Amino acid sequence: MQNYGSNNDLDEKGQVMTDQPKIKVKFEPKPKPSACPICTIEYYQKFFDIEQRDVYMRVRCSLLSWKPEFQQCVAKNPDLWGPLWISTTIIFILFAGGNLSRFLLEEDKKHFQYEYNYMYVAVFLVYAMAFVIPIILGFIMKYILKSELGVFDVVCMYGYSLSVYIFVLILCIIPYNEAQWFFLMSGLANSTIFLLVNLWDFMKKSKPTLMIAIPIIVFNVALILCFKFYFFRLIYAVDD
Amino acid sequence: MEFEAQENQGNNSIQGVINLQPQVNQVQAQQQEITIKQADLHVSSTLEESVAVTFLRDLRQIGVKLRCVLVPTMSSNNAKELRNWDLWGPLVFCLMLAFTLSVSGNNNDGTGIFATIFVLIWIGSFVVTLNAQLLGGKVSFFQSVCVLGYCVFPINLGALFTLFFSFFYLKMFLVIGCFLWSTYSAVGFMKLLIPEQKRILALYPVILFYLFLSWFALIV
Repeated sequence: MQNYGSNNDLDEKGQVMTDQPKIKVKFEPKPKPSACPICTIEYYQKFFDIEQRDVYMRVRCSLLSWKPEFQQCVAKNPDLWGPLWISTTIIFILFAGGNLSRFLLEEDKKHFQYEYNYMYVAVFLVYAMAFVIPIILGFIMKYILKSELGVFDVVCMYGYSLSVYIFVLILCIIPYNEAQWFFLMSGLANSTIFLLVNLWDFMKKSKPTLMIAIPIIVFNVALILCFKFYFFRLIYAVDD
Repeated sequence: MEFEAQENQGNNSIQGVINLQPQVNQVQAQQQEITIKQADLHVSSTLEESVAVTFLRDLRQIGVKLRCVLVPTMSSNNAKELRNWDLWGPLVFCLMLAFTLSVSGNNNDGTGIFATIFVLIWIGSFVVTLNAQLLGGKVSFFQSVCVLGYCVFPINLGALFTLFFSFFYLKMFLVIGCFLWSTYSAVGFMKLLIPEQKRILALYPVILFYLFLSWFALIV
């Protein structure tokens, strides 16, 4: 078998050649262009190029919502890790906490019926708020209102705006009406202010762009109303 | 073989590209032929044995892998064993867990719970593995799904205990113990494959996954 790339070939007289032309061999597999670039893993890999320190900074930016620092935190590197796992955590808290809150109020604890529908409704609601609405809004902003923010920037911002609800919904397990409204209202304020403050640069350009504040506020208010009236509704036993 | 080269006058060398793809293809085809011939021998010998022997062999393999995954000693034998992934074990444990939780007496929606647990385990493993891959971890997809499936076994034990005991605090204690055991085993496997700065980002979904399943085991 011929030895490719070896430096010990024999010359015509059968002696080992010591001084030979060196052959550098380089293999270059050509990457196949994919038919559907958005379907490959490589397309999404650039949205997971963050470290745990970055996630901590972004969550901190979203909790201190009145400072318009989020775009600096993101630094042109929007991620999808935050939106995905923050929304999944919220789904778990809604499912477990909602039922726990009902359990604490229930008098007949032995015959408590767990409501499994909470999970399906929570999945639908939270993933719609974290992905569907920002994608639609992002498309409108980018292609109709000509913003510099991409669709994934808006998705990232919406995802991190939900991070305050992790704490709010855990506190909402306390089965007192006033306490729950207070926590939900503060969560709503924090989340909406975060979105508006960080989009302010884009919104102040003209009247149509200012109109984008309306759907943002409306969807956030709808979200907490769903939280209160479906997951944390308090049905007190009526004393006759 | 194609060879494009240019001579480098300065230091008497030739730099170029050799396309050895045809040779590589040929060698791979020969290797595949040998593997097929070996597999033929293997298949004909296993086709003739009784069903019980086949069954017991599969069960023994599941048992061996289970011990590797759950007894957290990081020996190289373990790592080699885990590289031969299979999805039988995860399927068995998933069905066992879904069945246990759906027949337990507290609920009136057995089929809904069976479907929920089944879907949750498979989609959950899929998403957690995809997350680890996207974060740049060098983890083979099915191997990771396999290990996550095997680590569901302690939660299976927890669900079986809760069937037989009714004292709530005892159930809670057992389920928490099983959750910690599952998570510790799965984390032990996955943390080796992720770079240091992204470790928590890859491990948090694993913890959330087992938390979901343990919560189901506790409340049903």
